[in-house]
Amino acid sequence: MDYDKLFQTIVNAATLGSTYALIALGYTIVYGILKLLNFAHGDVFMVGAYVGFGILTLFGGALDPSISIWLVLILMTIAAMVACAVLGVVIERFAYRPLRSAPRIAPLISALGVSFFLSYSVQLLFGAQQRTYDSFNWDGGKLFEPAITIGSFTISWLRVITIVASIVLMLALWYLVSRTRTGKAMRATSIDLDAAAMMGIDIDKVIRFAFVLAGALAGAAGVLFALRTYLVPSMGFTPGLFAFTAAVIGGIGSIPGAMLGGILLGTVEALTVTYVTEWIGIPVGLSNLVIFSLLIVFLLIRPQGILGRPDIKKV
Amino acid sequence: MKRRALIAAALGTLVAASLAASASADPQAGARSEAAAVSCRGTINIGNLTVLTGPAAFLGQSQQSWAELAAKRVGAQLGLRARVIGFDTTLDPAVALTAAQRLVGNRSVIATIGPATSGGVAATSRTLADARVVHVTPSATAAALTKGGSPTATGFFYRIVADDSVQGTGQAKYAIDRLNADKATVFDAQEPYSVGLANTVERYLERRNVTVQRLSVTNSTSDFSSFVTRIPSDTDVVFTPFQVAANANQIAVLLKEQGKRAVVFGGDGTVDPAFKVPGSYVSNFAPDLASIPGRAAILNAWRRDNPGRTPDVFGPPAYGAVQSILYAVKRACAGKSSVERINVKRKMKSGPIPNWILGGSFRYSSKTNDPLNGGFWLYQVQANGSLKQIGRL
Amino acid sequence: MSEAQGPRIGEDEWVARSGENIERHRLLRLADRVPGWARLLLFVAAVAAIPLITDDGYINVVVFDTLIFCLLAIGLNVVVGWGGLLDLGYIAFFGVGAYTYAILSSEQFGLHVSSFAVLAISVVVGALLGLLVGLPSWRLSGDYLAIVTLFVYQIFISLATNGNDLFGFDLTGGVNGIANLDPFDLFGRELVVAKQGIFNSNYVYLALGIFVVVFVALYLVNHSRIGRAWRALREDELAAELMGMPTDWLKLLAFAFGAAVAALTGSLFASLKVGVFPETFSLTLLITVYAMLILGGVGSQTGAVLGAVVVYVFLEALRDPDVSGWVFYVTILLALLLVVRPRWMVAGVLAATVAFGFVVHAIAGAIDETWTTSAGPDADSVTRFLDAWVVIPATPGDARAIAYIGLIALVLFCTTVKGVWRWLALVPTLYLAAFVWENIMSADPDVTRFVLLGALLVSVMVIRPSGILGERRVEIV
Repeated sequence: MDYDKLFQTIVNAATLGSTYALIALGYTIVYGILKLLNFAHGDVFMVGAYVGFGILTLFGGALDPSISIWLVLILMTIAAMVACAVLGVVIERFAYRPLRSAPRIAPLISALGVSFFLSYSVQLLFGAQQRTYDSFNWDGGKLFEPAITIGSFTISWLRVITIVASIVLMLALWYLVSRTRTGKAMRATSIDLDAAAMMGIDIDKVIRFAFVLAGALAGAAGVLFALRTYLVPSMGFTPGLFAFTAAVIGGIGSIPGAMLGGILLGTVEALTVTYVTEWIGIPVGLSNLVIFSLLIVFLLIRPQGILGRPDIKKV
Repeated sequence: MKRRALIAAALGTLVAASLAASASADPQAGARSEAAAVSCRGTINIGNLTVLTGPAAFLGQSQQSWAELAAKRVGAQLGLRARVIGFDTTLDPAVALTAAQRLVGNRSVIATIGPATSGGVAATSRTLADARVVHVTPSATAAALTKGGSPTATGFFYRIVADDSVQGTGQAKYAIDRLNADKATVFDAQEPYSVGLANTVERYLERRNVTVQRLSVTNSTSDFSSFVTRIPSDTDVVFTPFQVAANANQIAVLLKEQGKRAVVFGGDGTVDPAFKVPGSYVSNFAPDLASIPGRAAILNAWRRDNPGRTPDVFGPPAYGAVQSILYAVKRACAGKSSVERINVKRKMKSGPIPNWILGGSFRYSSKTNDPLNGGFWLYQVQANGSLKQIGRL
Repeated sequence: MSEAQGPRIGEDEWVARSGENIERHRLLRLADRVPGWARLLLFVAAVAAIPLITDDGYINVVVFDTLIFCLLAIGLNVVVGWGGLLDLGYIAFFGVGAYTYAILSSEQFGLHVSSFAVLAISVVVGALLGLLVGLPSWRLSGDYLAIVTLFVYQIFISLATNGNDLFGFDLTGGVNGIANLDPFDLFGRELVVAKQGIFNSNYVYLALGIFVVVFVALYLVNHSRIGRAWRALREDELAAELMGMPTDWLKLLAFAFGAAVAALTGSLFASLKVGVFPETFSLTLLITVYAMLILGGVGSQTGAVLGAVVVYVFLEALRDPDVSGWVFYVTILLALLLVVRPRWMVAGVLAATVAFGFVVHAIAGAIDETWTTSAGPDADSVTRFLDAWVVIPATPGDARAIAYIGLIALVLFCTTVKGVWRWLALVPTLYLAAFVWENIMSADPDVTRFVLLGALLVSVMVIRPSGILGERRVEIV
């Protein structure tokens, strides 16, 4: 039994899962209130990563930063969160709000258009070639040095930072949603929008709050993701798709569901690539196929997800 | 009644269209079949089918800049007025086909360099050959284009750099002979270039009894952690023949993070500042131009024309491709006042090309349209990120 | 920019504005008077005339591709417009049709099936696959179905790129695709794809013929019981079900029809393109087809065709660096004419923008010479004119991103304010648009056209969700 491989897979699952969870939360919060599939969310995630890149360049780049690189990382994350929160609100105001009384398909198409616009705009401004934060060279490679050692197995600082930051953000979200007034208003609105409006809740404000939260989480996820991978204008699509699926599997509209779904999907992906494809004997390039097939089957069996409520239509 | 009229109209149109099609089954006959001749004293237009936009745009932009330099300098040396016109193929072979059709329709274009990608060549060679357009690639290295049972490219396709059978075999050989590798992992990114190169490497490794693990990633995979986890810790070498250097770099970084000792070999697609983990190897079909004596003047000329840009290894072969075409045009123009596309083809292999950009003089092989003694050069990434040339593969 | 009137008590707003609406749509109602078959005939005649006028191979390819897109659009219209289902995997069927042709008519397996037979097989395969993919619609509603169809698309791409090693069997040629396909054979006579590299215009006629057949067939289906059932389904699914309609089967049927049309188109497409490659069937293609359908009007076949033609020509025109500038500026002009009232104010706004430009240009030139490059001696008059008042710095640097974001912010700002402020805001907006175009967008036309398409899609949705010719729907919740 190769324990190193097993532990590494667990760490991989946690890292992947945390990214998916952060993005999935954005999907689920918005869907819960507006019943809208925000296709542009993946691209908001991508913009967050690029904003981080801009901040990094502003402070001199990875090799020769004008202030401590760790401080730069914190600034990058904050900047990304703010920028994406603003972006989310702007998108909502101009691309979704006018369509609140239009047929259901209209905001979906609008979201597709926004997604298209965002990714190609970034390509126009930054070029289509890959860019990186060059995290390997940060502070002499500190990020990839072991932070935790268990016998012969090590976990690097990068992983620790990613997982801890994600947990902190998720806890912050949980606090905001369950302990503040606006959070409570948000939950009420997601149960029944009209009733909430009649109770005197300012729906527009709640929706804005939702998009701020979703955007901030996506922005942070973008920086963390780019820290260990790279940046490219199309980077938002696949994580966005996976994260949305995670939200659906966990039960769309349910916040703990999104977190659960994210972790679950990260685990499925890590397991499929590392173990399952080897067991079945198919080339690892087909892992996506396996994952998607499983997802379709799951959706057919339990469309409301693990923690979701069955969608009962009242006539 | 209305319905029947509609059906009748529909069928009638289809029949009419078919008749029209079959009646004139010989399109654009007559005047069109005569290729337009271009005056030897006028501007010689050379096309450049390359990746001008998209993720690999740095390649096409570099090739275009060096091709333009060649048109100026070599043209002046030969007494010809030459110009290079870019046609964007992107990485999608279907777009390459449309670009080729556009090029072919431009009667003033006498020959072209490119297509830059192996997929692009496979998609367009027949169209270009039908129009008698010589296409000389400075970067499409898939061996299947000119070698094997049924080569995918036509007789109008020329290549001035060595192909992947040299690169893949060379890398594998170096890994076995110099690094004593007996366990390896080979990646590919599910696109023609990397799959072709990976196949070559894998085949040679297996022939020499090396244990090979083959891993295939998609072009949308961004997090390679799970893939690297699959690599056994006693693997000696990992081959990453990607077109995207940052991916290869990520694999090298992850190997170090997960405490694995394997050394990474990138292909010519990973010759890029983003690939910089010290100790990794990378190979390319051209030596570093600065290492060839007597090339300082050309480098300076390029720098003057392209302020703010740094020269890379992909550009000079494009210069060489233009050299090859212009010499053919010059030979075709000897004693004549105009030249046609087919004349260029006939003179392509009629003599060596002196003062070749990559050193010495250039000759095509007599059997295929590949270089006679093409080679690949191996580099290793140094601690400061620069590439040190190790030698010829 | 007329002020919206508030609702008056006791009057239905929609009814009250009916007079204004009829007035506004006078032009469209004129077009409505021309009977359907005449419109189709006009279209056919116009398209058929093009290869006769020009023998530029490139233009003929563009016409052929436009017809392909028209076919794709009317096929998608069946699923989205008539069935009311969001099918995000539509391009997968297009790909299946293309690969079917490639497998049956090339050296891949040594099969050389007659082309019309291949088309027929594609239709059947497409329909069967459509039925299969549509099955989840029995359990899942709109949004979930969209995601499942997206997965199906991913599975298709995965199979296409890895299909060269399916348990040792090479089905799809993998990443290299399948090249060297047989040209289309028309009743035994082979239609050469290109003569000396110039595209054979007879393919345009072939595509036209197939288009007409499909168009009419779909029209007939729409005016049959099935079509009427689809309309009922769209209006109120629950009510339709209660009336005893087999809604599940109807949805499946819409899926199957759409998929069959897409597969047919795929085969036709493959016959010309010499080869099929996985990269061709991208998500960008899917969104482009959606944009065409949305713009033209969901639910209207004529709209789909109109949308396809407009969007594709727009995209191709933007690719050519000489023409793209014209297209951009003319589009802005048209947008202004459509939106700005009274119309004569457009001239005023434009003049103000140019004047503003001269001022900015002078100031910028005074601050730093490299901020305003002058056009070279062999630039044409339009370039020189633009250069005089648009600031085109030699090295734009960071200003690009700032200007771009600034432009978006200004445009959004213009839509929120009214009255005098809107006029004032419009001037710097237009100037910034010219700046962004000259400095950022025109350098990269391939990317710019998709940026503009995305913006167009959002704008159309916001302004007129049903598209130009679509049926306006009021959803009763």
